[in-house]
Amino acid sequence: MIKQHILKVGRRFSIPQEWTSRSYWRETGLAYLYILPAFAILSVFVFYPFFSAFRLSTFKWTPLTSTFTGWRNYEYIFRDKYFWRALWNTFYYVGINVPVTLFLALLVANLLNKSLRFLAFARTSYFLAYITPVVAVTMVWQWLYNWQYGLLNYFLGWFGVSLINWLGDKRFALPAVIIMSIWRFVGYEAIILLAGLQGIDKMYYEAARIDGASGFQTWRKVTIPLLTPQIFFVFVISLIGSFKVFTEIYVLFNGTPGPLKSAETLVFYIMRQGFFGTQHLGRAAAASVVLFAIIFLFTLFQLQITQKRVHYQ
Amino acid sequence: MTIRRFCVLGLALVCLFGLVAVAQGPVTITFWHAMSSRHQPNLQKLIDDFTTEYPDITVELSYQGGYGELQQKINAAVVGGNPPTIAQVYENWVTPIVEILYPIGPHMTEEEKGDIIDGLVRSNTYNGVLTTVPFNKSIMVLYYRKDLVPIPPANWQEYLDMSKALTVDTDGDGTIDQFGTGFRPAANPEQFLNFLVEAGGSILSDDWSEVTIDNSEGLRAMEYAASLAPYSLITSDYMSSAFQANQVCMFIDTSAGYYYNNQAAEAAGCEMGVARIPMGPVNQKSMIQGTNLAVFDMNQTQAQKDAAVVLARFLLRAESTVFWAQMGGYQPVTKSAYESEEWESWVETHQYQQAMSAQMLDGFSQILHPNYGDIRYVIATAFEEVMLGEASPLEGIKSLALELEYLLE
Repeated sequence: MIKQHILKVGRRFSIPQEWTSRSYWRETGLAYLYILPAFAILSVFVFYPFFSAFRLSTFKWTPLTSTFTGWRNYEYIFRDKYFWRALWNTFYYVGINVPVTLFLALLVANLLNKSLRFLAFARTSYFLAYITPVVAVTMVWQWLYNWQYGLLNYFLGWFGVSLINWLGDKRFALPAVIIMSIWRFVGYEAIILLAGLQGIDKMYYEAARIDGASGFQTWRKVTIPLLTPQIFFVFVISLIGSFKVFTEIYVLFNGTPGPLKSAETLVFYIMRQGFFGTQHLGRAAAASVVLFAIIFLFTLFQLQITQKRVHYQ
Repeated sequence: MTIRRFCVLGLALVCLFGLVAVAQGPVTITFWHAMSSRHQPNLQKLIDDFTTEYPDITVELSYQGGYGELQQKINAAVVGGNPPTIAQVYENWVTPIVEILYPIGPHMTEEEKGDIIDGLVRSNTYNGVLTTVPFNKSIMVLYYRKDLVPIPPANWQEYLDMSKALTVDTDGDGTIDQFGTGFRPAANPEQFLNFLVEAGGSILSDDWSEVTIDNSEGLRAMEYAASLAPYSLITSDYMSSAFQANQVCMFIDTSAGYYYNNQAAEAAGCEMGVARIPMGPVNQKSMIQGTNLAVFDMNQTQAQKDAAVVLARFLLRAESTVFWAQMGGYQPVTKSAYESEEWESWVETHQYQQAMSAQMLDGFSQILHPNYGDIRYVIATAFEEVMLGEASPLEGIKSLALELEYLLE
């Protein structure tokens, strides 16, 4: 019994057969050589800054001296009411922006998947919003949102809605950012979902038709399950992107976080602490670590869901 | 007698430094700036004039982006041990790095130092030494539409009365279409600082050990700002946009914005006037803005530092600062420039400069506190809360004082 166990353990730790082959080591060496350039670039521009941010979050930084302060930067941000407000605003933005954009993108993708007459034109139009530089788009929206002369209030006026001060009223500042973001990303997400839709084998639909499934039943029981890989992909990138929203706010409110900081998100808070004339890089790094932890947890959670809910053909 | 000897010796040393810089042979210095495309040709012209006079000195002008980017790049360069020879800097950028700067003042003559206008000497002096020198300076003034404001308000009461009278709902839909004035509290807290200083108040004590805003002067300034709020367009956008859209009749803004504000007025089909800011209960001071020049000691040869000092002194000359002001929309920074014939004749033909010049000679500067960025931010927060009716003036001042106390800890 003991002997058998020893043999079993010995087998587990014995040198694999392929390790003795020279070709194995040559191929492995070559493989590492191929990934070396990418690894070197990632090390300099991703891994080093990533670990450096962790380190920086425990220091009080000035250009000439850096003093180790332990958790003081974390203590500061957790005591700062504007940090909590920024966190709330970020969740508010993500919570509305991600599902609404995804839902609308699904609708648009389905529409585009029908054989429309001007399909190519429609696809280009939707994608144009995404590929136009965000600063240019935001400046146009700044005019659309102008409370006195903006087109949005003009159209709302047709339905008897009185003038809304989109960019000057704290109640509407963040919704204004969300509306613009939805408009901007619907086309991009729709194109990805459309690719998924067009990749679904026709035989599933034929089988559903033969079984007498209605249009909605087919959509729910065939289309959506087979589209889950694309939906999941869009959901993940949209969630991560939404947590990092900054440029739209910075441009829309001329470098301020909206009236009474009503549109200050976590990345805006990080930028403000670290770079807008304040230079508290330690605090900015601490807030970045918190943001990283949030995104990391969400991604882990999503991966759990993926294993259960995403179906691959 | 001894003092005289010292003066003579000092002057001789200063001249010697200048000669050494020139006699040391060709030297190249880098000049980091944040002057956008509109100002770059003017800066280049000044540098060309300088290199004509000092052919052995080559100046490499290097545009670094906006002021925010410039500060980040200077800090990164300091960390990397390779800053430029000379750069534009704001007052509070200097405080944390003052020990690696090469003070310019000790290499200037007493006459040159005494020529810098009074409001700017203190804001360039660190630990009792004139370390940096003023460069592109602007001053806050009142802009107004001449068709609606025939005579600009002379004092706080007139400003309030006129703002009230000019605030109207022109189409009768229940929404105000034209405001008497306008403020950008979140973006431009200096508008409140003007009121504070005019009321005789201050943010901190001279040694930065105490918060001094929570008193009757501070409250008076905030109450006055709040009294203007109902007749003000409150926005984060530049006032020139509202000016062009006929939404505001007058506003307080930096003189560097003259070009843009005037363009907006022209687009709106009206004539723009410029006046000093309305007189407050104690004085009529407004805030001087803009950057100074700093020479770096770190990683520079003596010849480079000397050459950079020669450049800084050249840019302080009356003809240089007058040219810079005429072409760039900034204000001259020396007394001799204001007294020069060239400037006087320029002011005669450019009426708006009369108010700007008078205001500049009666201006106050940003404090040198290293955390001025934070201080400015909490002022903006309180000012905005009061202007948008989220807090009363008293609550605004109290919360501002608390935040400032917290910053001083």
